[in-house]
Amino acid sequence: MKLYITAAVVSLIGLADAIYLTVEHVTGQSVRCTIVAGCSEVLSSQYAVVAGVPLAAVGAAAYFTVFSLAILAAFGYRFAGTLLTLVVLLMFLFSLWLIYLQAFVIQAFCQFCLLSAAVTTALTVIALFARRTARL
Amino acid sequence: MKRILPFAIILLVLGVAVGSGWYLTRVTPGSPATTPAPAASQPSSNPQQRPAPIRGVPGAEPAQTLGSANAPVQLEEFGDYQCPPCGMFHPILEQMHKEFGDKLRITFRNFPLPQAHQHAIAAASAAEAAGLQGKFWPMHDLIYEHQRDWKDKMDVAPIFEGYANQIGLDVERWKKDIGSEQVAQRIFLDSRRGQSMGVKGTPTVFINGREVPFDQLLEEKLRVVIQNELAAAGSR
Repeated sequence: MKLYITAAVVSLIGLADAIYLTVEHVTGQSVRCTIVAGCSEVLSSQYAVVAGVPLAAVGAAAYFTVFSLAILAAFGYRFAGTLLTLVVLLMFLFSLWLIYLQAFVIQAFCQFCLLSAAVTTALTVIALFARRTARL
Repeated sequence: MKRILPFAIILLVLGVAVGSGWYLTRVTPGSPATTPAPAASQPSSNPQQRPAPIRGVPGAEPAQTLGSANAPVQLEEFGDYQCPPCGMFHPILEQMHKEFGDKLRITFRNFPLPQAHQHAIAAASAAEAAGLQGKFWPMHDLIYEHQRDWKDKMDVAPIFEGYANQIGLDVERWKKDIGSEQVAQRIFLDSRRGQSMGVKGTPTVFINGREVPFDQLLEEKLRVVIQNELAAAGSR
């Protein structure tokens, strides 16, 4: 119960971050380029869009899904807890892929994308813990 | 009550998320409401209070310029060909050139950031080498317009060679010039000028020696900045 509320709160951080990135992407207001490569290269890369939809928007939808499921789970809907773990694990794998892209393909890190990866990692840990306590 | 509560919370968050996203996309591109004119109106109303123009050490001579040498508004851009915001700024600057014509002189300065952009030097060299045949601007335009086509490629040389062919360069000479001391020196001098003027990133734009804030580099805002500068020049 408490773990699911924590998950809901953490997912809100991810949601806010993803909304920020979506706005940056859509408005093209990327930051200036500096010696350290950053968000402007990542957000303008070909990987930032999937089938015409900004990846950040997909992320926002994913965080919203996690938030909804966590709230439902906190209110005792059991299926929501199971679904939450599944969704979070998928997001975790996807985050690993995105970090790989930033590190080796685009060769630039965007701190807001890294924040998203950190949030997803935290959610994964929380979701797995919640599963364990649920089983006990 | 307990049955509705979770759904109410979810709907509330959805509303806030969609609402804030929608609001931010509408506000961020710089409608005048977000930045109430101080930066834009200051120049014309209060020329005395403006910061002194920055001079800096000289860049490459002769510089790559568009427009008349004694235009009242002198705009100098420090750019990196592989930098996405520079690519987005390129059409804006072209538009300003079209609108203001001889009243606006545009100077392009190389400020490559090779630590961030592996092809930045290659692109700058390709444009400067074209400049040695009097075709800097056509090459400059092609490289910027097609930034998305080459910036993620491993080998950009054949792509730039295609542009060289397209604009009718003596390609063999151009290839030799790319690696020449003269071209390297031009890029070095431009960068050094940028550093002496405090440039840290790209695009950085100066108008009559004063830096234009990054958020003013949108078409509608830059137009106002130039108009104000023209007005200030007229009243002097």
